[in-house]
Amino acid sequence: MLTAILAIGGMGLVAGIGLALASKIFYVYVDPIVVAVEEALPGANCGGCGFPGCSGAAAAIAKGDAPPNICVAGGPSTHAAVGEIMGVAVMETEPEFALPGCSYGFHKADLKFLYDGFNDCRAALLLDGGSKVCPIGCLGLGTCARACPFGAITMGEDNLPVVNKNLCTGCGTCERVCPKHIITLTSNSRRIQREYTTEQCTAPCQRACPAGIDIPAYIHEIALGNYEDAIRIIKESNPFLNVCGRICVEPCELECRRNLVDEPVAINNLKRFVADYERNSKKRIQIPRAPESGKQVAVIGGGAEGLTSAYFLNRLGHDVRLYESTESLGGLLRAGLPASRLPRDVLEWEIEGILAVGIETQTGKALGRDLTLSSLFKEGFSAVLVAIGGWDTFLSQGRPQEAPLPGIHLLVDYLLRHEAGSGKAPGEHVVIVGGGATALTAAHACLAGGARSAAVVTRTSPTDALFSEQEIKTAQEAGITFYHETALTRMMGEGDALKQVELTSMKGEGGQSTIISADTLLVGAGRFPELIYVPREMDEERQEDTGIAWETVLPYAGPFSTTDIGLFRPGEAIGDYKAVVEAIGAGRRAANSAHRHLTGAPVSPPEGLIRRGTQVLSLTAVESVAKVPREKMPEVPEETRIADPDAEIALGYSEAQATKEASRCLQCGLICYRREEGGLH
Amino acid sequence: MSEYLLLLVSAVFVNNIILARYLGNCPFLGVSNRLDTAVGMSMAVVFVITLASAATWIVQTYVLTPFDLEYLQTIAFILIIATLVQLVEMFLQKSIPTLYRALGIFLPLITTNCAVLGVAVLAIQNEYGFVKTIFFAFVSSVGYGLALILLTGIRERLNVAPIPVHLKGTSIGLITVGLLALAFLGFAGMVH
Repeated sequence: MLTAILAIGGMGLVAGIGLALASKIFYVYVDPIVVAVEEALPGANCGGCGFPGCSGAAAAIAKGDAPPNICVAGGPSTHAAVGEIMGVAVMETEPEFALPGCSYGFHKADLKFLYDGFNDCRAALLLDGGSKVCPIGCLGLGTCARACPFGAITMGEDNLPVVNKNLCTGCGTCERVCPKHIITLTSNSRRIQREYTTEQCTAPCQRACPAGIDIPAYIHEIALGNYEDAIRIIKESNPFLNVCGRICVEPCELECRRNLVDEPVAINNLKRFVADYERNSKKRIQIPRAPESGKQVAVIGGGAEGLTSAYFLNRLGHDVRLYESTESLGGLLRAGLPASRLPRDVLEWEIEGILAVGIETQTGKALGRDLTLSSLFKEGFSAVLVAIGGWDTFLSQGRPQEAPLPGIHLLVDYLLRHEAGSGKAPGEHVVIVGGGATALTAAHACLAGGARSAAVVTRTSPTDALFSEQEIKTAQEAGITFYHETALTRMMGEGDALKQVELTSMKGEGGQSTIISADTLLVGAGRFPELIYVPREMDEERQEDTGIAWETVLPYAGPFSTTDIGLFRPGEAIGDYKAVVEAIGAGRRAANSAHRHLTGAPVSPPEGLIRRGTQVLSLTAVESVAKVPREKMPEVPEETRIADPDAEIALGYSEAQATKEASRCLQCGLICYRREEGGLH
Repeated sequence: MSEYLLLLVSAVFVNNIILARYLGNCPFLGVSNRLDTAVGMSMAVVFVITLASAATWIVQTYVLTPFDLEYLQTIAFILIIATLVQLVEMFLQKSIPTLYRALGIFLPLITTNCAVLGVAVLAIQNEYGFVKTIFFAFVSSVGYGLALILLTGIRERLNVAPIPVHLKGTSIGLITVGLLALAFLGFAGMVH
C-alpha cells in the first residue's frame, strides 16, 4: 500500500518538478496583445483579411501592420473589441454582402449537356466550361455554399445560391472559391461605382443606359410591389429619377428584347411611376452613406452633372460643397425645358432631395470671379471637381474674357481677338489641343505675338490630312513643335497659374509620357470635360511664394467613350451631352474617379469594361414569349392643354398599370430571359 | 529480421490499431476532412506513440514490476504520457519552432488519446524488449497514419459526391470506416 502511494506520488512529484523546470528552460515569450487580439477575432480563419488565418491577422494587428478593423467577418463589434485592446479608435467600415450573379437555374437556362460527375463547380468547369450555354452561368454545384465559413449560403431553388444577409459577413470566401467569379461582394459604395463588364450577367437595356441603371432589377422590384427598393436601385446610379422619368431619351428601350416580339417595356414610364410614388408619399428614400472619409470636395457647377457628382461624392462619404455661378440650381434642366414636360415643382422636389443628403451649396459664386482654384485649396478641399459643362454658359452670362480655370483658354476666343487686331500672345509657352486646321493658325500667331514656344497636340498621325506636309515643314521651321498621336493627360500648376502639361503618346500600349512647360492651353473644343484638380506635394517654403501646387486627375473613360486616354477625349468628355442621362452618367463617373483618387485606389475602369463595340453575348430572336401590348401613358385632355399650356402632358401610370407593365419585362440576362410557362423550356 | 518484418505487417495491416483494434476513433473521424491536416496529425501520432511507449516501458520495467505494482499500470502510464507530451511540446516550441507549428494543435490533442495508451499497454502485454517495443510502437502508429490518410482521401471525395442529406458528415464517415475495416479484415490470417 505504502509502496503504491510512494511510487505514484513520487512519479507525480518528479513529473511536476520536471514540467516546472522545463517551463522555465523552454520559456518562449508570447506577446499577450497578440493572444488577446486573436481571442477577440472570430476564429473562422476565412482569410477575408488577406492574412493566413486569424492568428496571422492578430500578429499583424499587434505589430501595427494591419488596422484593427481588418477583420471583415467580425463586423463592428469585433473591430471595437480589437480597437480597445490596441488602444486605438476604429474607423467604421461599410458592410458588404455576397451577391449571386446568375438568376437562371438549370431548368430555365439553355444547356449544352447534362452534367453527372464530381459534385464541385471547379471540377465541372473543366468539362467544356460547364454545362450551361452561357459562359458565366452558375454551375449550381454549391462550391460557394460549402466554402462559406459562416453557413450563410444555401443552394436554393433550381440550384442557385441564396445568401442569408443576416449570416453573411462579407469575408469574400465565396468570391474567391467560385471558379467563374459569379458570386461577388457588393456594398453601396461598390454599387455606386459599378461599371458593367463582360464578366457580369447584364441585360441589353442596362448596357445601353448612359447612367448605368440596373434596369431589370428595379423593374423586378416594381413587379413585386417593392417600390422603395426599386427607388434605391435607381438612386444607386441616378439621383434624378423624377427628371429622367419624364424627359429621358430612353436609349434603353431601343435595346429592349421585347422589340423582337412586340413593343419595348416602358422602362422609363416605370421609373416615373416610382419617382411619383416617392414624391406623393412625401417621404425621401435615400441610399445609405458610406462611412465618413473626413475629406472635403468642392464641386463647381450646379447643373445636372454637378448635382449628380455632388450627390455620389456625398454618398461615398465625403463632405461636399457645391458652387453655382447663377442664383438657382439645375442648369439646363431649368433653362432648357418647357414646364409641360418637366413641371418646375417636380424639378424643385428633385433638387431638394439631392441636397437633403447633406450637400452644402453656394449659389451666385463663379469660378474665376468669386473664387479660384487656390482659394478653394486654401479652404482645405482635398479635390475640386469641375463640371461646368460649356463655355457657352460664360458667353450667355456676358463673361467671355474670363479664364475660370488656370491657363485654359478657348481657341476660338483667341483667334477672334487676333483677327480683331490684338496681336499679343496669350502666354509664353502655349500648347494647343484640338481645333483642326485653326490650331496651326493660332500657333503661328502666338509665336508672332511673342510666345517663346508653341506646341500643337493632335490625336491623329502626321499622315492624316489635318495639315499638309508643307505646312508642317514651314511650321517646324518657324519653331512650332508637333505632338502627333498624342493626348493631353495631366495639367500641373501652382496657385492660379498653369506650369506644365503631361502629354502621352497614344501609339501602342502604355504610351510614353513627356512633361513640357506650358502656361497657356488653347482648347479647340467648345465645352469642358469633367476636370478634377487635387493638391500636389510640394516644399512648404516654395508654397509661400507661388501658392499651393496642384495637378489634374484624369477621370477614367466610361463605356461610351471611343478612346480611353487623355483629357478632351473624343466621344465622351467634350461634354456636349445631348441628354440629361448622359450628363448624369458622366457626373457619377467623375465622382467615382475623384473618390478613387481620394481613397488611393487606381483611377481606372474595371477590367473587361463593356465599351461601344465590345462583343457581348446576346440574342437575335426570342421564343415562347406571348405578345402583350405596352401600357399606354395617360395624357391630359386636349381642352386642358389649350387652357393651360404649362400643364404637364403625361400623367403617369396608375399602380395597376405599373404592375402590369413591369410584368412584361423578360428579366433578361446575357442570353437567358423569362419564357412563358409551358413553353419550350 | 523476419521477426521484425512479421511485426511490421502484423501491426500495420493485420492488427491495425484503428481498423482492427478500434483505438483512437475520435481523432480518426475528427481530422480526416483535409489531407494536409491528416498528414500533420499522422506525424504527431507517430512521434508521440513511439516516444511514449519507450518511456512507459522503462517505467514498467524499472518501477512497476520490481515493486509488484502492475495494477497501477493504467494510472501511471496516463501520468507519464501526459507529462511527456507537455514536455515535448515545450521543447519543440523553444528548439524546433517549425516542427512545432507544423504539428500545431494536434500535439496536445493526442495527449489523452487511447491509441497512445493502448500501444504502450499492448507492448507490455506482448512482453516485448525495449528495442522491439519502440519498433512495435513505430509501426503501429504508421498503421494509424496509413488508415487516417486513406480515410481522408476517401472523405475528400465524399465531400463532393451526391450523398443523401441525412447521411452527410459523420454518418457517411462512420459507414466508410466500417467498410474500410471490412477491407482490412482481408489481411487477417496472414500472420499468426
